[in-house]
Amino acid sequence: MPTRFAALALAVLAILGLLAPGAARAEKVRAAFVLLETIDDQGWTTCHYDGIKKLQQALGDRVEVAYTEGIGSAADAERVIRGYATQDYDIIFGTTFTYMDAMFKVAQDFPKVKFEHCSGYKTRQNMGTYFVRMYQGEYLAGYLAGLMGFKNVGTVATQPLPEVVRGVNAFTIGLLKGLAESRTAHDPAKVNTVVWLKSWRDAVNETTLAQTLAAMGHDLIRQMADTCDSSKAACRMGVPAMGYGADAAEYGADCVLVSTVFDWGSIYIDRVRAILDGTWKAEAVWNGFDKGGVSLSRFNASVPKEAAAKVLAQKDQLAKGRDDIFAGPLSDQSGKVRIAAGQKASDQDLLAMRWFVTGVSGRIPD
Amino acid sequence: MPGDLAIVAQIAVKSSVAVLFAALGELVAEKSGVLNLGVEGMMLVGALAGFAVGAQTQDPVLAAGAGMAAGGAMAMIHAAFTVGLGADQVVSGLSLTILGAGLSGFLGRPLVNASGPVFETLALPGLKDLPFLGPALFSQNVLVYLAFLLTPLIWFALLRTRLGLMIRASGEDAISADASGVPVRAIRFGCTVFGGLLAGLGGSYLSLAYTPGWKEGMTAGQGWIAIAMVVFSTWNPLLALAGALMFGWLTALQFYFQATGSELIPPSVLRMLPYVLTIAVLVLANRTGMLKGRAKAPANLGLPFSREP
Repeated sequence: MPTRFAALALAVLAILGLLAPGAARAEKVRAAFVLLETIDDQGWTTCHYDGIKKLQQALGDRVEVAYTEGIGSAADAERVIRGYATQDYDIIFGTTFTYMDAMFKVAQDFPKVKFEHCSGYKTRQNMGTYFVRMYQGEYLAGYLAGLMGFKNVGTVATQPLPEVVRGVNAFTIGLLKGLAESRTAHDPAKVNTVVWLKSWRDAVNETTLAQTLAAMGHDLIRQMADTCDSSKAACRMGVPAMGYGADAAEYGADCVLVSTVFDWGSIYIDRVRAILDGTWKAEAVWNGFDKGGVSLSRFNASVPKEAAAKVLAQKDQLAKGRDDIFAGPLSDQSGKVRIAAGQKASDQDLLAMRWFVTGVSGRIPD
Repeated sequence: MPGDLAIVAQIAVKSSVAVLFAALGELVAEKSGVLNLGVEGMMLVGALAGFAVGAQTQDPVLAAGAGMAAGGAMAMIHAAFTVGLGADQVVSGLSLTILGAGLSGFLGRPLVNASGPVFETLALPGLKDLPFLGPALFSQNVLVYLAFLLTPLIWFALLRTRLGLMIRASGEDAISADASGVPVRAIRFGCTVFGGLLAGLGGSYLSLAYTPGWKEGMTAGQGWIAIAMVVFSTWNPLLALAGALMFGWLTALQFYFQATGSELIPPSVLRMLPYVLTIAVLVLANRTGMLKGRAKAPANLGLPFSREP
């Protein structure tokens, strides 16, 4: 019975394929997601799962969703992605960088299936990439910190990759802007001290690094890890923090002034809707506040109204597509001008960024 | 920078406590002749059980008690196999570590996000204002004080009491001890379970005080460090304290160097040092003939006891 059904399904598909080459509107989309951790990991995967829920809410019964959790290795990823492709899912989302080559390979074998890979750079005719401009959120968080007079921030950074370096830089640029506007005396060469976990999440080191930074007099802890343990540790030491990824305040870090939050839902809705409309094509999506993809959590009650208003005004600018965060003149830690006045870092520059702006204390490990 | 030194010292003391608890427990077990390589597993199960009960009751003391009990229960498995059935101690201990890691990872899944109670810092009035020692030793939580009080007590119990003599006799020469009326099996069973209780307490120190919350594999090798510290201490509880503090200092220095951007000693070297120093102590002690009498490993360590030849 199943074989006969499969044969029939194949025949129907073949006919459909012949009748409607290329762009075809779909009545219902079957979307599959391959997830790195569990959907309750409070970080990366929870954010993706929140996006999936938004997708389901937005499209109701026009979308059917399946997901697999805890896929950490490329080999596992290939098996799972291939499985979904074999089951005729219309679109498969791979939610972490590790899956890139696996997905690239499977995409070749299943030209009818559409693939979307998060944070990678390999594309095919049926495989696009998507990512969000988290650095825009980081810039706003840094700006808020500067407006509130925090001038000696300790950042618990994760992997020394361009994505993270870019985020630290954006935060620092915002911080310096805020400090200048609030007329806070500060050491312009050292407003943000960066330490590295060399891991996306490492609860024990997050906690102790944040404790060490707080004990050494840093006045704000910037969490960058997937889990909010560094924020929680800061709260316990009476030092405010800023969350990352998910809203850290929701997970018990109540001293968090604001969290920069991934909002994958808008991308998922957009991509699936494109299939429904028959307009999907492989793209390199890199959304910021303009098209949705990042957002800010609610501000802590201790955030002054004026500061919040200023941050939201900047956010509106970004939402209108005016992103001048990496506009020159910008110098690196040695004072060398990296982006000249009147120039702006291109997306290519941003994606390959491996230098810290003036104001960051700390090195990028090799 | 004297201020920084006090900060590092405070974190060093904090970072040494789980290892100290576990090492003290393992030391007692080894003194009685039972090598238990399951410390890592017992700590993990203790950390999970402590946190689970804490998340339910929000009572840290009850939670730490549960962590101890769970560690003790794990040790009972080891005791049953090695003391009761005369099984190989190395194999049984390793199995315990694997069992503990798997079991805690599996049972802990629903608890990864839970929030539980925390042993808050309890600065001792008067003492906390001492320069350097105040922040380092007297602005800590209750479990830290407990660990430091327990160390001389265990030293005293092992070396100055009748019970301690019976424990040492069981570990040095079980046959003779048995012949002179020492209940070797009972002593060994009890010491093994005692070791489990302390390993469990060390584990729950991690999940209730040091890095509150449950994370899979959160002991990160501290159980193995504890076993190394027992050897490092040449089976002397006071030196085990010194070893644990050394581990704490190396840990705290890693964080300090990172936080200040100093690259004086790379973190990976600091992580390696406890093991290197343990081996160095062993080699030195052997070559200089220091390993005599009391400083030697218990002569019957690892040997199952049986009346039949």
